Amino acid sequence: MIRWLALRAALFLAFAFLLAPVCIVIIVSFNGGPVLSFPPTHFTTHWYALIKPEFFAALNVSLIVAGATALLSVALGLPAALALSRGRFPGRDGLNSILLSPLVVPALVTGVALYQFSLTFWDFTNLALGGTLIGLIIGHLTFGIPFSVRAILAGHARFDYALEEAALNLGATPLQTFWRVTVPILRPSIVAGGIFAFVMSLDDVPIALFMGGGDATTLPVRIFTTVEFDFGGEVMAIAALIVGGSVLLMLVLDRLIGLDCLFGARR
Amino acid sequence: MSTAAIDGIAAPARTRRGADVWLWIVLPTTVVFCLILAAPIADLIELSFHAMTGPAQVGAAFTLSNYWAFITDPFFLQMFLRTCWLGLLVTLGCAAIGYPVAYYLARTSTRWRGMALFLVISPLLISAIVRNIGWFPLLSESGLVNWALLKLGVIGAPLPLINNFAGVVIGLVHALLPFMILTLTAVIQRIDVELEEAAANLGAGPLEAFWRVLLPLSWPGVLSGSLLVFTMAISAYTTPAILGGNRVLVMATYIAQQFRTVLNYPAGGTAAALLLVFAALLTLLALQVRTSEGNGQSEGRGA
Repeated sequence: MIRWLALRAALFLAFAFLLAPVCIVIIVSFNGGPVLSFPPTHFTTHWYALIKPEFFAALNVSLIVAGATALLSVALGLPAALALSRGRFPGRDGLNSILLSPLVVPALVTGVALYQFSLTFWDFTNLALGGTLIGLIIGHLTFGIPFSVRAILAGHARFDYALEEAALNLGATPLQTFWRVTVPILRPSIVAGGIFAFVMSLDDVPIALFMGGGDATTLPVRIFTTVEFDFGGEVMAIAALIVGGSVLLMLVLDRLIGLDCLFGARR
Repeated sequence: MSTAAIDGIAAPARTRRGADVWLWIVLPTTVVFCLILAAPIADLIELSFHAMTGPAQVGAAFTLSNYWAFITDPFFLQMFLRTCWLGLLVTLGCAAIGYPVAYYLARTSTRWRGMALFLVISPLLISAIVRNIGWFPLLSESGLVNWALLKLGVIGAPLPLINNFAGVVIGLVHALLPFMILTLTAVIQRIDVELEEAAANLGAGPLEAFWRVLLPLSWPGVLSGSLLVFTMAISAYTTPAILGGNRVLVMATYIAQQFRTVLNYPAGGTAAALLLVFAALLTLLALQVRTSEGNGQSEGRGA
């Protein structure tokens, strides 16, 4: 009994710890007094009116980059995952670990490596990658591709290859087999891979910090560079809006595919 | 991937016939991948073998001087130790807070389980930058935590909890806790409840049962979760940069500083190469643990 109570207390504290920084953002964004002081003095919404337009421009950049990253990650990840799960070619295991290896590389290292590479690239071609949307998308593909490859490979765990063979034996063309058998069976993991790439892209700071800049500044980087110098109520307001947007996205995802499925925590 | 890809799927699974077709299908992804990641990292490592000749200027001659400086200058040794100390504290924090939660998730079968799992995972879907910002109204001098502690009379003066090392530890424990919990839950789930009941029946108190039955049996999970959290903690940049208030110098913040403000690219490149090697070695070690114990999964990147 005591043991159960102690466990409950530990659980309560852990969940309070997990949720505190997210909840406080919403409370503080309505505080009329100094933002970093507790308790709040009076209710206000004027921080929301003070959000600068460049934050919305940055949100636009983030959504474009995340969308392109998700689509390209799946487009490049699906053939690789199909080949890795079906083919028996020389170097397959090596390729498997190479395609999944970026998950080992710290994002900051990828960021500075791409930054350095874009300088070298400029020296040779006079083409700018840094500070462009293309540069940001390239940067995010470095983790988007491995995540989608892994998600789609995981979707093969209970894949019945006989279904593909059956379709072919019954006269379906390879194209029909691909679209009407393989893709529908793998759809949940393809979607999961794309969502992973999308969410990680929206979240990233280190890579976008070094590959972006100017018009190609994502929302997290805009916030990051803002709080480096000054911490105002409008930052809290934009953060609260992000929390709201994320919760909405989460509820939709949970309804559509199930969050614990997405994270593979269920067994 | 046009017709080749489609033909490849036609090849019956698990035969040698389609071997070269699959090679063609995997080729575009491999090429893209080498261009966007392997080449930049090779370029970065190459950079670390040159000397700085001025701000943002890199000499042409090959040199080992950057690495020599890392070995001989105590400044770097201190920074490396500080980075490891950070990783260690964050790992301990995650294990201490995460174990009870994982135990609950593994053992309960009530309808609260789904809710609890959702709460554990949800911070991962909220932008890391927002979670970091949220610590300021909580931990600053006039923030919620100091206000509550002062009101309760626990402390006489506000504690410095942010813009320092403590703030970074708190932020990283928060960011990486879900990874520890998911790893531990998977392992505890596979431990037979009857073993705990047997321990209790044989007279072990809850603490003794934990120390002598549960913890030893779940040790592989604790180990692989710890390696995962440690690796992510020493690799993290966003949290140390924001919550450290530009005052906490660990490997990651040093690297960014060299590239953003000091403009000593070779020094930053050297530190980045070393961090990469360290993180890769830790991951290999984690894989070793995982395969030798044949357990769990869950991995990712955060903070």
